[in-house]
Amino acid sequence: MSENDKTKEDFEPKVVGFLCNWCSYAGADLAGTSRIQYPPNIRVIRVMCSGSVDSVYVNRALIEGADAVLIGGCHPGDCHYLNGNYKARRKMVLMKNILTTLGMEPERVWLRWISASEGQKFADTVKEIVEETKKLGPNPMKERWNI
Amino acid sequence: MIYELKMEEDAGTTVNNLLRSMLKDGKIDALVAMQETPTGKSAFPTMVSDPDKLHTNVFAPLLPVSIGTVVSHMTKVQGTKKPLAVVLRACELRALLELAKIKQADLDNLILIGVDCLGTFPMKTYSDFDGDPTEVLLKGEGEEYLRTACLNCKDPVPENADIVIGVYGADEGLFLDARTEKGEGILSDMNLDETEDVEVREQAVSDVRGKKDETRKEFMEEHADILGVDKLLEFFDTCVNCHNCMKACPICYCKECLFESSVFDLEANKYMAKAKSKGAFKTPTDSLLFHVTRFNHMILSCVECGLCEQACPSDIPLMDIITSIAENAQREFEYEPGKDPEEEMPMVVYREDEFQDVGEG
Repeated sequence: MSENDKTKEDFEPKVVGFLCNWCSYAGADLAGTSRIQYPPNIRVIRVMCSGSVDSVYVNRALIEGADAVLIGGCHPGDCHYLNGNYKARRKMVLMKNILTTLGMEPERVWLRWISASEGQKFADTVKEIVEETKKLGPNPMKERWNI
Repeated sequence: MIYELKMEEDAGTTVNNLLRSMLKDGKIDALVAMQETPTGKSAFPTMVSDPDKLHTNVFAPLLPVSIGTVVSHMTKVQGTKKPLAVVLRACELRALLELAKIKQADLDNLILIGVDCLGTFPMKTYSDFDGDPTEVLLKGEGEEYLRTACLNCKDPVPENADIVIGVYGADEGLFLDARTEKGEGILSDMNLDETEDVEVREQAVSDVRGKKDETRKEFMEEHADILGVDKLLEFFDTCVNCHNCMKACPICYCKECLFESSVFDLEANKYMAKAKSKGAFKTPTDSLLFHVTRFNHMILSCVECGLCEQACPSDIPLMDIITSIAENAQREFEYEPGKDPEEEMPMVVYREDEFQDVGEG
């Protein structure tokens, strides 16, 4: 059975995660070294700062068929580059606003603050995203050959 | 202060005489304004310094290119040291002020002369027009020919100009509104009479703004059904990925656009893998991605001039969706592009205590 034939309930979402080098990526690392269990649905891409994640990366992931996208950054006030995460937040607000106007399921895009010590929070976040995305069903853009 | 400009022959001649005397008196060294080409079939922003070669038509209902873009090219390397007047429409002025914010234009020594805009025609409508399109529009007719962007203009009266040439509310003659000290300095010794119709002018401006707001709202409601991936794919079905919309856009200023680069050119095996996983895919690839990303990059500064739509070889009615996207995004950040030259763009500033629900689960 190919992935496309799976029904809404039993599909396994693919999540693309952009995690900042200084906090969220280290948090994910900690989850791993601490052997905290979390769903294997996330594919992590390490970036230097959540503020460096341009909308083009997120939109491309979505248009190419990712079922959800996570951007992980340091907690507000803790950014390694002082204010990158505040800028990431503004970009996220704009991205979601535009996706809403276009009716392109903004709820597939997530922003979470995960520090280097929050392995458990990383695991919980992935769990939450996978559960919520299963409720949404597969990303319809995956199916469109003319996109 | 609002002055009255007495009508000589017609509105075009009146403005020409005013600009000519500014040139002759040395108040300005040169000016940039719309001037009809010898065929009369089009008009382009033209820089004039010889008073004898000045025959502008600042009311020509045509927008071949945004004067915002033109002035950006002229001043971004080095601004002018001598006074240069720029006669532009409201959307062009908004674009110019946005470009100045991102250091793509230098406003020093520019005298910004705004013109009340009555709307513009598509290029072809203008060049094929039976009669004088400017005259038709100044008479208050010809609305059926206007471009979509102009019909739904967010504000046809230029804010933040040094001088505004006012048509709205003018019965005989024109208004000359000195809105800054610089503008006042130029107009004050030109033997102009102060108008007695300040209230008439103000009422007319607020009327036209109210009317535009209403048509704009109706227009957005009418097109609110372009929602979801399938409707969007239908909307962009004929897009040939030429990027003309981006090239015509006064706000898309990047010298090297990501989408013009080879970032999206991948190894053949990656395309094959994509075909295997999807079964099939259309080329050129990344065309919807281009549009959605372009919106993310420019929409907060979008001045809604509609040049993107005018540039589209496939006649995709881009303003049908851009109007709503711009309205919603700019409202979210309480930002009005081109309104306040001192206001910083939303993507370069932040507040610690904003949007706190975003990022917290």
